[in-house]
Order: sequence, then C-alpha cells, then structure tokens
Amino acid sequence: MSELEICNITKDYGPSRALHPVSIAVERGEFVTILGPSGCGKSTLLRILTGITQPSGGEIHLGGKRIDQAPPEARDVAMVFQSYALFPHMSVAGNLAFGLKMKKVRKDERARRMAHALEICNLAGLVDRMPRQLSGGQQQRVALARAIVMQPSLLLFDEPLSNLDAKLRDTLRHELTELHRRIGATSLYVTHDQAEAMAMSDRIVVMNEGRVVETGTPLELYRAPKHVFTATFLGQTNLLPVVARGAEAQLPWGQSVALDAPATGDIQVSVRPENIDICADEAGSGTVCAVSFMGANALYTVEIGGRRIRVSQSGVEHLIETGRRVTLQFPGPVHRLNGTTAQEAA
Amino acid sequence: MGGLLRDRRAQLLLLLAPGVGYLLVFFGGPLLSALIGSFRQDDGSFTLVFYERIFTRASMMRGLSTSIYYGVMPVIVSLAASVPLALLIRRSFFGRKLFSGLYKLPMAVPGIIVGLMVIVVFERGGFLDRLVAPLGLGLPKLVRDDWGIGVILASVWKQVPFMTLIITSAFAAIPEDIRNAARTLGASRLKTFFIVEVPLAMPGITAAILLTFIGSMGSYAIPDIVGPPTARPLSVLMVKEFNQGRFNQVYAMGMVLSLFAVSVLLLYYSLTSRIGTGQNRGDAS
Amino acid sequence: MNALAIETASMPRRRVFTPEDRILVTIGLYGALILAIAVPLALMFLWSIADGWSPPLIVPKDYTTARWAGILGDGSLIRATVNSILIAVVVTVLTAAIALPTAWAMARFPFRLKRLVEIFILAPVIIPGLVVAVGIGQVFLLFGLAYSVTGVILVQIVGTLPLMIRLMTATLETIPDDLIHAARSLGAGTVGIVLHIILPLAVPGLLAGGLMSFIGSFEEFDKSFIVGAPVVETLPIKLYMYLDPYSMQLPLASIVSFILLLPALVVFIVAGRILRDDLMAAGMGKI
Repeated sequence: MSELEICNITKDYGPSRALHPVSIAVERGEFVTILGPSGCGKSTLLRILTGITQPSGGEIHLGGKRIDQAPPEARDVAMVFQSYALFPHMSVAGNLAFGLKMKKVRKDERARRMAHALEICNLAGLVDRMPRQLSGGQQQRVALARAIVMQPSLLLFDEPLSNLDAKLRDTLRHELTELHRRIGATSLYVTHDQAEAMAMSDRIVVMNEGRVVETGTPLELYRAPKHVFTATFLGQTNLLPVVARGAEAQLPWGQSVALDAPATGDIQVSVRPENIDICADEAGSGTVCAVSFMGANALYTVEIGGRRIRVSQSGVEHLIETGRRVTLQFPGPVHRLNGTTAQEAA
Repeated sequence: MGGLLRDRRAQLLLLLAPGVGYLLVFFGGPLLSALIGSFRQDDGSFTLVFYERIFTRASMMRGLSTSIYYGVMPVIVSLAASVPLALLIRRSFFGRKLFSGLYKLPMAVPGIIVGLMVIVVFERGGFLDRLVAPLGLGLPKLVRDDWGIGVILASVWKQVPFMTLIITSAFAAIPEDIRNAARTLGASRLKTFFIVEVPLAMPGITAAILLTFIGSMGSYAIPDIVGPPTARPLSVLMVKEFNQGRFNQVYAMGMVLSLFAVSVLLLYYSLTSRIGTGQNRGDAS
Repeated sequence: MNALAIETASMPRRRVFTPEDRILVTIGLYGALILAIAVPLALMFLWSIADGWSPPLIVPKDYTTARWAGILGDGSLIRATVNSILIAVVVTVLTAAIALPTAWAMARFPFRLKRLVEIFILAPVIIPGLVVAVGIGQVFLLFGLAYSVTGVILVQIVGTLPLMIRLMTATLETIPDDLIHAARSLGAGTVGIVLHIILPLAVPGLLAGGLMSFIGSFEEFDKSFIVGAPVVETLPIKLYMYLDPYSMQLPLASIVSFILLLPALVVFIVAGRILRDDLMAAGMGKI
C-alpha cells in the first residue's frame, strides 16, 4: 500500500462538481507535483487533504490510517501556504514552536528540531524577528521551516513560490529541491508553473477541470504525453494531423516522417520545436514568418502547407531572416497522441 | 522645485482647515476655556477649590464612583453578550443577512427612548411585573433601584450592537489562512481561537471596550431617567450645577470625567503597542 | 478488515456544523432579537393607543386613536418635529461639506503630524458630549448663540464631524492613486477628476456618513439640551420633558418616541443595504 492513497475523492459545491473522482497514490519519500491551470481543482484537493474542506465522497489513507473524517489537528499533515500565513503576533521562534507545543513535543526535542529546521532553511540569526520585519523570501522560508519542524507524514505545498519575483523563485526552488533531498518527506506540491513542476518532481499529476488527465515522470510526460492537454500544457509543441501507414506517416504538406509507434489511418502527433531541424533553402516549401532570438536558442515561426509550425534551434551562428524560404526536417520519430482524431488537431 | 513643495504644503493646510479649524474653534476652544475656568475663582485668581469639592464632598465622590460604575458594568455585560454574538454571526445560518442588518437597530435608538423602554418593561407595575403577577411573584425593583440595574440594562441594550459590529470586523480581518495554518499545526478550534485569533483581534476588541466605557460613563439621559436619585453620576450632577449657574464647578467636574476617558485611552495605546500585531495597512512584501 | 476498523476508531471524528445546528442558531438569534427589540417596541406602541392601561392587565382592554389624532393639532409637537428635521438636514449637509476636504487630506497626504491630527479628530468622541456642551454653553451665552437654532446646529456638528471625517477618510483611502494618474494622463483636469472619479467612488462613504450624521443629529440630546432648552425644542428634548418622573405621561411619551424612531429606523434599514460593515467598523472603531 502506498504511503498516501487518495481514493475517488469528489467535491461538489451545490450543483457544480469541483472534483470528479480523483485517485492519486504517493509512495513514501516521493515528491509529487499536481500541475494544472487555475481552477482545475488542485487547491481544493490540497484543502481536502489538510482537512480544512470536507470531501463530498471518497476516502484518504495516510500511512495505512484513514484520515478523511478526522479534523485537521488530528492529521499528521503539514502545509506551506501560498500566503505564508505566519502568525503576525509571534516571532520566528514562536511560529516554529507553535505546532510542536500543540502536539506536546518535549522541550529538548523541540529545541533540537527547531535548530535543525532553522539550519536547513537558512534562517540562522532570524530567530527573534517578527514576521513583519522579514522579506518575502525569508517569510516563505519560515513558513517552510514551520511545516518541516513537525516531521509530518505528508508535506503539502500550495503554490508557495508564486508570490515571489522570478530570481527569488529560482533560488528557493533550488533550496526546496535540496531540502527534499536531505529530509525526504513525502511531499505533494501544487503549482500551475510547468517548468517548476518538471524541475522539482519525481512524478507529475496533470489535472484539468477537476480530473486527473495523466501521471508520469517529467521525462515521460514531456517526451511521450498521452493526451493533447498534457502535450500543450508542458512546454511548447506542434500538434499535427497525419495519415499513418504502419511505421511511417505523411504530414499535411506531403513530407514523410517516422512514427514512434505503428498506426494506420488519420492520427494526431505532437512534435516539439527542438525536435525539428530548419535550414535555409531557396527551393524549400516553408517560409519564415517570425524570428525571436532567445539567447540560448532561436525560435522560428514557419509557414508551411498552410500551417504555422514553431521550430527551435540552439547554438545558432546566424539567424534566418523573415521571408526566406526554408526546409524542415524531422530527424527522429514523432510522438503519436492517444485517442484524438485528426479533426481535433486541425 | 521649492515652489511646488510650498504649493503642496499650502494645499494640505487648506484642505485640513475646514475640519480641523472647525473643531479647534468649537471644540478645542471651549474645552480650553473650561479647563481654565475650572481653576478660576470669580475674581480671576487661581484656585483648586472646585476640584477639592469633587474629592471631598460626599455627594460628589458618590457621583464619581457612580460614573465609573456606570462605565464599567455595561462594558462587562456587553462583552459577555457581544463576543458570543460576534462568533455566531460568522457562521452561515438561515436568515443571516437579514439578521446582520436587524441586530444593529438599537444603534439608531436614542438613549431617552431606551430609558422609556426600560421603564415600560421593567418598572414596578410594568409589563414583566404584570406578567409574573398571576404566579404570585413580584419583580424586584429594577428601575431607579440602588444598584442602577435599569441604567445598566439600558446601556447594554444600546451598546451590544456597536460592540458586536466592531468585534465581528476585528475577527473578520484575520486572514483565513492563518486560522487554517493553526489547525494544520495541531491546534483544535478552541485553541486556535484563544491562542491565535483573540490576540490578533485584540486591538479591535479593546477599541470597542474603550468606546463603550466612555459612552456609558458620560451619558446623561439614561441615568437621569431610570437611575436612582440617591446615586447620581457626575454627568447628572453637572447639569444640576449648570442650571444653577455654577459654571466653574461644572468645568471641574467635566475635566475629571474627561481625565478618566483620556487615561483609559492612554492605557489602550500602551496595551496595544505591546501586543503589536504588524497588521498595519500595507503588507510585508 | 478488523485492523482497518480499529484504525478508523482511533482517529477522532470532526465536529461538523450540521444543518440542524444552523436552525438552532437561527431560532436562538431571532428569538433573542424579538425579545430584546420587537417586544419593547410593541409595548410602547400599545401604550400609545391604549385607553388607560392599569395593572393587572397584561394587554390593554380599551383602545383609542384619539391621542395619535391629537398630535396633529399639537402645535408644540409639530414645531419640535420641524425643528428636528430642519436641524438634522442642515447639520448633515454642513458636516459633509466640512469633512470632505479634511478627509481627502487625511487619506491622500502623508505628513508628519498626521497621528496627532487623527487623535485630535477623535477627541470629541472621547470627551463626554456633556463636557463639550457645557464648555460651549457658556461661550454661546456670551455670544448670544445660546437658546438659538444656530447654536444647536453648531454644537451638533462637533458631534457628527469626527465620525464623518473618519468614515470619509476610510472610503477615500480605497481610491488607488493609479486611477487619478490615469485620468490625468487622459487629459482630465482637477475639476473633472473630482466630478467623475472621486465623487462617484466616494458615494458609499458619503451615504453612510450622511445617514449616520442625520440620525446622529436627529436623536442628539445631551448637547442640544444644554445649549437649546428650553427655548429651542427638538423631539428628543420634548420627549425628555414627557418623561419627568414627577409628571410622567407614558402614552404621550410613547407617541413622541415613535415619531422620533420611525424616520431613524427607516433610514437605518435603507442604509443597512448600502452600508459596508468594514467601512463602518473602520470609521467608528479604529482609534
């Protein structure tokens, strides 16, 4: 049995359904991210896990015990909030000690755990400060320390980095990954930022409109997504309708490509911009309509066969100008998506 | 640059002038003249005799203690009713919106009418008395009685909505996430309330207490109508002296009352600066 | 299976706020409301229409509308009512006019002595109204403003101004700077900005403050009594005279009470829909 088992959890608000039956399993020590757009139900799911919100149906088991009917204070679950939610009238030390006092941890054990958490979260020297005297990044670290000091069976993160600016987000992301490596708590992380999800997780659960779309490791989901939603939500891609004949398929403008799995008939494929080669060719069938130089790579928008394809090229020496004719090449097999017809791709 | 700055300063003064100016003329001035008057004899010389009288004459002393009594008791009783009420209103129940409007009605009722209501309901021979008469019981003297129960009832009736409003807002200003964080860290509903929510709502609660105390301590109409003639508060005594033209004595009594109010205010400031929640306008970024 | 059952039992169940609890709360609160507010008001009304109501009657036996009809002929009562309404209207308008610029300054200008000014504006609320009145009373005697409607108006404004300033300050603070900058960059002058942006956004606060000022003035007693009585009679002063313990006239007092209450209640119920709790609490409760 997994450390955390979410079984068919549903949540209804009156007539509208926020969560269709959702089932997720998390192994001990795993770092799983729930990724999805705003309103997909991921925050609702987190609140149900903490016990702040009641599910309409389903069960939750943590460490073998059923917890979905228990009040929040009885669960061994700690959460890092998006708004930090530090107690304004207590110092950093007070905030950290709060949960330990509630669970009646002995004084020496308390001091030990607090010292450890302060060290891991780079909070040395801030022990007696009040929350209003701390910067955003520091507050977030205190919120983190307050959660890990509880040594919970389940550690939850509700988009903790979204209130920070880009540079700080980057720094803290690395700190979080390092932290997880050191303490190995079973963690469930919620975010809408796909780069964050891919960088931090052992596994990603993709959610949309109250349902789980698919799960997998970041690499699996990026290279071989099963669903259109996953393909378009993670990174950039080109969705193309092709006519398949066994191990090969024909693109709308006649070019042939290899498939990563055999098929016949009209299917849909997803090709990442970095998996397409572009070269200037006066006799080519494509035309460059836009160029963006991103530093590490160049992003081209190519008009070919009546469609716009995005192509990414790295290590460029010089850029191909707009209006020039180009040829596109597909060196590797392209990925076939599940259960969608050519119509949905068009 | 200098011209612009001066312009802004001038702007500021001009804008502040009507309100602050009016209060200076019609409030600050009279208050100052009252303060000076309380120390002046008729011939203009400095004297403390008016203050002496307040602290030596038996009727005046009783007046002062009665004023304080009429300030403290309504606060205690109102708190006992307002806090549970504020907590109940938070929850959702049928007719909550309507109730939120209705419970504030007493705030629109002037003190005299509240006095009248107390007489109608609680006076010997009034409604409650007649209600229990068939049972062979009689109502104890609640109006114009020695304990001033009628006065306290009337003050409480008027102050509870006000207190509830402010306390409800104080609790509502606490972000929900903080409550949720306390719960996930192992605090029960009760513990969360006492250890997290009450300290954070304290500034609002103490403000409500302070304003209620001052309001009921200084009120005139209610103690005059339903209060016992044997224990009149300073406010009632002041009007008597005023009608007899003994203005300087009135000023001294007024200053004593004001001193009490101001010292409670100072106590409030010292208390809340110690609690210090950091919940000022503008968040820590 | 058994192991699972034991595990479930060891986990405490939460206490949920059930719909049955909700009904209990509703009944309890509304019951208290009826007992505390509706019953006394009903009793007062009965007194006003009862034709003699002596003990041990719990409900009056005979009724008469003569007294209510009689008030229309009572000149002094009509005069008092007109006085009260007139004074309340003038006080409200003047208070708003005086408060607005000051509130604007408090809301938008950071300046060093602001806290001091805040406390000064709060002062008339802290100092008991009676003290203010006796202080003004003698000064007005000197200037001949005592026993005049003007004097009553002037002294009442001292009471309504602090609340109006604080309410308006709370409202005006919510207008983002960016709105005004955007308007200026689109070509609006100061007058345009005031008319089209500030005043419309200030309306909730103005309404709230206006209503509270009106009610505050209409039912004000302490200060009006000292400055105006016995020459100037407002409704509260008239009511006070009917409640003189040596010559109490309960029925007449009840009638005057209702005349005094009705406009205030109507205005309050209307205002209840417009008033925002957080603004009210900010204006009245922050010190």
